[in-house]
Amino acid sequence: MKTEVASMEKGTKLSTNVNKKKSTIHISKILKHAFIIMLGVAMLYPLIWMFSSSFKPETEIFTSPSFWPETFTLANYVEGWKGLSGVSFGKFFYNSFFLVSLAIIGNVMSCSMAAYAFAKLDFAFKKVWFGLMLMTLMLPFHVTVIPQYIIFNNLEMVNTFWPLILPKFMAVEGFFIFLMVQFIRGIPRELEEAAEIDGCGKIRMYWNLILPLALPAVITTMIFTFIWTWNDFFGQLLYLSDINKYTVALGLRMFLDAMGQNSWGAMFAMSILSLVPLFAIFIFFQKYLIEGIATGGLKG
Amino acid sequence: MEVVKRIWKRNWIGYLFLTPWLIGLIGLTAIPMMTSLYLSFTSYDMFTSPDWIGAQNYLEMFQDRKWIASVKVTSIYVFLGVPLQLSFALAIALLLNKGIKGLKVYRAVYYVPSLFGGSVAIAILWRQIFGGEGLINNLLAYLGLQGMNWISSPDTALYTLIVLTIWQFGAPMVIFLAGLQQIPVDLYEAARIDGAGRFKQFVRITLPMLSPIILFNLIMQIISAFQAFTPAYIVSGGTGGPLNSTLFYTLYLYQNGFTQFQMGYASAMAWILLVTIGIVTALVFATSKKWVFYQG
Amino acid sequence: MKKRHLLGILLTLVLMIVSACNSGESASSDDQGSGDSSSTENQTDSGSGETGNKDAEEQEQVEIRFTWWGDTGRNEIYNAIVDRFEEENPNITVKREFGGWTDYWDKLTTQTAGGNAPDVVSMHQFYVSDYARRGALLPLNDFIDSGIIDTSNTPDSVINSGKIDDDVFMIAKGITMSGYVYNTAVLDELGIDYPDLNWTYEDLEKLSKQVVEASGGEIYGTSDYAGGQLQPNFRYYLRSLGKDLFTEDGQLGFESDDLNSWWAMWDSFRQQGLIPDAATTTEYEGAPLEQNMFVTGKTAFSQIPANQITLYQNQFDEGEIQIVRIPTPVGGDSGEFIEGAYLSVTESSENPEEAAKFINFFVNTEKSLELFKVEQGAPGNTKMSEFIKPLLEAPQVRTVEFIENTVELAKPAPYSPTGVTELEQVYKDNASAIAFGQMTVEEAVVDFMDQAERILK
Repeated sequence: MKTEVASMEKGTKLSTNVNKKKSTIHISKILKHAFIIMLGVAMLYPLIWMFSSSFKPETEIFTSPSFWPETFTLANYVEGWKGLSGVSFGKFFYNSFFLVSLAIIGNVMSCSMAAYAFAKLDFAFKKVWFGLMLMTLMLPFHVTVIPQYIIFNNLEMVNTFWPLILPKFMAVEGFFIFLMVQFIRGIPRELEEAAEIDGCGKIRMYWNLILPLALPAVITTMIFTFIWTWNDFFGQLLYLSDINKYTVALGLRMFLDAMGQNSWGAMFAMSILSLVPLFAIFIFFQKYLIEGIATGGLKG
Repeated sequence: MEVVKRIWKRNWIGYLFLTPWLIGLIGLTAIPMMTSLYLSFTSYDMFTSPDWIGAQNYLEMFQDRKWIASVKVTSIYVFLGVPLQLSFALAIALLLNKGIKGLKVYRAVYYVPSLFGGSVAIAILWRQIFGGEGLINNLLAYLGLQGMNWISSPDTALYTLIVLTIWQFGAPMVIFLAGLQQIPVDLYEAARIDGAGRFKQFVRITLPMLSPIILFNLIMQIISAFQAFTPAYIVSGGTGGPLNSTLFYTLYLYQNGFTQFQMGYASAMAWILLVTIGIVTALVFATSKKWVFYQG
Repeated sequence: MKKRHLLGILLTLVLMIVSACNSGESASSDDQGSGDSSSTENQTDSGSGETGNKDAEEQEQVEIRFTWWGDTGRNEIYNAIVDRFEEENPNITVKREFGGWTDYWDKLTTQTAGGNAPDVVSMHQFYVSDYARRGALLPLNDFIDSGIIDTSNTPDSVINSGKIDDDVFMIAKGITMSGYVYNTAVLDELGIDYPDLNWTYEDLEKLSKQVVEASGGEIYGTSDYAGGQLQPNFRYYLRSLGKDLFTEDGQLGFESDDLNSWWAMWDSFRQQGLIPDAATTTEYEGAPLEQNMFVTGKTAFSQIPANQITLYQNQFDEGEIQIVRIPTPVGGDSGEFIEGAYLSVTESSENPEEAAKFINFFVNTEKSLELFKVEQGAPGNTKMSEFIKPLLEAPQVRTVEFIENTVELAKPAPYSPTGVTELEQVYKDNASAIAFGQMTVEEAVVDFMDQAERILK
C-alpha cells in the first residue's frame, strides 16, 4: 500500500512537470493492478484459510486464532486419503473424472446440436420448443426429483452412473443450449452464405463452421460442466449408494455428520485436493478465452 | 403427398439436430414435470398415494404467512442480487479482458470463489467473516466502531447472502469474457480511426455487441436467483432463520416437501414459481427487442 | 491457426472418451461382482469358508440393504459389524449405504417414495411417526413372537419405546437419556459448585447467575432452550407437570398456561443475561459440534443426549464432562422418557426375515456389541449392556451409568401425530420471535395455540 501511495505522489509530481499523458497512464496502470490485487485477496481468503487449516491438527482448527498452523501436520491428508472401508479417495477421484468426462462429451454434443437448430435453422414450432426448453429450467428440481427417481428405478439404473450421465446426452441442461444459441446467433450470416455457395450442407456447416466459431461457448460449456458436475452432490447422493461408486463430492460429505463428530481436518484436506483439478481445468481452458478465436482471425 | 414432402423438406434437418434434446424432453423431463403439475392438485405425503383436492394447495398459499415471507425474501434477493452480481461480473470481465499483465492469474484467482459451489466450507467461512466475532467486526472494532451479528440479525442476514452471491460471480464473468472474445477487433480499430474515446467505444461497440450475452446472463441469473437454495441452505443450516429473513422460496418449498412430507403443496409452490419466472422472463425477452443486437 | 485449436479440443475429447470407456467397463464389472466393497467382501469369503458351508449350499443367496447415518468412526464400526454378520450367514449379502444425518433423511425419503427403500433402515424418534403412520415400515411383532428377534433380555420400557400404538416398528440399537452436561474444569476455575444430579430450573437460574458473575459476563449459563425442537426440553417440562406434548389420540396434551410459563421462564433468563441474546443464539443454531457454544466455552451448561459425552470429552483438553438430569420445575415430577437410535424393516422389503435376522444379530450378539459398545447409546439388551461394560473407557462409563440411573425414571411416551414437524416449526418460529422481541410471550402463545388447532385438526 505504502509504495502505491509513494508512487502515486511521485506520479502527480511528475505529471505537473513533464509528460502529463504518459504518467497518468502509468498511475492508472498501477492503481488498476493494486485494485485487482486487493480484490483478489478478498477472493482468495477462503481458499487460503482452508489451505492453512488443512495442515492443522484437528483440535487446532477452530481453537487457534493464528492463521498459520502452530503445529504443521500432514495427518489430515493421510487420514482423508484413506477414505473408508479400504476404498480410498483415489477411487472417488477416478469416479468423478469418469462421470465428468462423459458429462462434458454429452453436454457439448447434445447442447450444441440443439443450439444450432434453435439459432440458425428454420423448422415448425421452433418458438414453442424454445419456450418449452426455457420452461424446463424454471421448475425447482425438488419437485421433479422423485418422479425422476421412479423413472430411473424402473429402468433399474439406480446405483449406476447412468442417471447422472444419460441426461447430459439428451441436452437436459437447457442452460448450455441457451448459452450456445446466443453465441451462434452472433456468427455473421455472410460466413454461412459463403460456405453454402461452396456447397456445404447443414451438417458439415455445423461441424466445420459453427462449432469452431462458437468455440468460446463450447469452452465455457466444458468448464462449467466440469465444475458443476464435479460439485453437484445431490444427484450423486440420490443415485450412488455403493461406496465403490462414490464420487469426490460424496466422499467429502462423508466426513461430516450433523449428529456426530466431524472430521474437519480431513474434509479440508480433501477439499483442497478436489479443487486442484477444477483449478487446473480452468487454467487450461481459459487460454482459449484469452487468445480469442475472434471472427476477424478466421477470415484470414 | 406433395405437402408432406414439402413439410419434410423444410423441417427434417432442424428436427434432426433437435433429436437428442427431444428424446430427453419426452423421456426425462416432461413426465416428471407433468407429474408434479398433477401432484400440485393433490395432497401427497410421498409414501401413500396422492388424493385429489383440487386447487386447495394454491388457495392455501395466500394465507400462509411463511409463504408470503418467502416471496418477500426472494423478491429482494432477485431484484438486488441479480443486477449487482451482473454489473460486478461485467466490470471485472472488462477489467480482465485484455491488456494487463498477469491476466491469466488474475482471472483464475477471481474464479476461485465459484469453485467452492455449495461446499459446507462456505458456511464456516461466512460465520468467520460475518459472525459476532468475525472478521468484519474485528475490523470495525479496530476503527473503534461497534459491530453487530451480521449473519444472525433479521435485518442483515439476507444481505450477507447477497454478498455471497456477488462474491461467487465467476460464472457470468467467464461468459462475459467469452462474449468479449467474439467481438471483432477491427470494429475497435475502425472506431479509433474515427476518433472515438474509450467510453464511446464501450457504449457504441462493446455494449451492443455483447448484448446477446448480457441478455443470456440476465435471464439465467434471474432464473437461478428465483430458485436460489444453496446459499440459505448452507449458511442458515436450512432453517431460513433468523425470523424467516433468509427463507428463500425454494428453501421453504424443500422444507414442505422433504421435512414436512407435503409434496402436493411443494409442487403447487413450484408451479407458482414457474409461472412467475415465466412472466418475468417473457417481459425481459419483450424488452430485449429494443436493446439486444444480433449480427447478420 | 483456428483449426489447430479445434484439433486440440477434439483430441482431448477423444482421449476422454477412451478413458471413459475403460473406466466404464471396470465399473460394470464391479457390478457383476455383486457389488460390495471388494476388500471386505474378500475377508468374509475367506472367513466363512468353514462355518456355514452346508447351509450356504442349501439356502438361496439373498441380498439385503442396510442403511445408517453417522460419522466416519461409526461407518468403520458398522461396516465391521456387517462383515461379521455376513461371516455367520454366508447366504446373506448385506449392501451398505450411509451418509451424514441430513443427507441420510433426504435420501431415505426419496428412496421410500421412489419404491426403492433399503431393507433395514436406521430410525429415529423424530421421523418414525412419519414413516410408520404412512405405512412405510413393517410391524415387527411376528418376528418377535417367533423369536427371530429375541427380546427376552430387553426391558419392556425399551421395547415400548419402539412401539407406535400397538405395533413394534423399531428395535433399539442403543438407548439414551437426555441431560445437562458441564465441564468440571470450567466450573472449578470459576469456583462454582457442581449441580446436583436432581436439580431444578431454579438451581439452573442460580448457578447461571454465578457463572455470569464469576466470568465477568464472558460465559453464559446455558444455551437458549426456549425454542428448537419440541423434545426433549419442553417435553420434559410438560411431563414433570404431569402433562405431555400430545395425548394418545393426537391432540395437544397441554394448556396455553403451560407454554406461557415455559416461554416466560426462558424470557426472564434472557432478560437477566443468563442465556445468549437472540442473534447469538441464531448464529450458533446450525453450528457443528466443534463450534457450538458449549465447546467454544461460551456456555457453562449444555443439554445433550448422554451417548454424546465421549464426543464432547474429545473436544476438551482439560476437565471431565459430567452429566446431570434435565432440570425440573420446582416440585415437579420426573419428565424422563427413553430416546435412542433404532433399526426398522421397511414395508417394501423383499426379504423381511433376513432383515429381522440381521437386526437380531446387531442388537443381541456379543460379536456385534463388542464393536458397537455405546456408539449410539447403551444397548437395550441388559445382558449385552453388562457384557460391554468392561470394554468401555471412562467417558463411556459415565454415559452408561447415567442412562442406567435415569432410565428407571422413564415413563412411556406416546408418539406424536403426523403434523408434528409443522407444529414444531411454529414452536421454533414463535420462540425466536419472542427472543428477537417481535412478539410478547402472550402473543406467541396465543398464536401457537391457534396454529396447533389448525394443524392437528
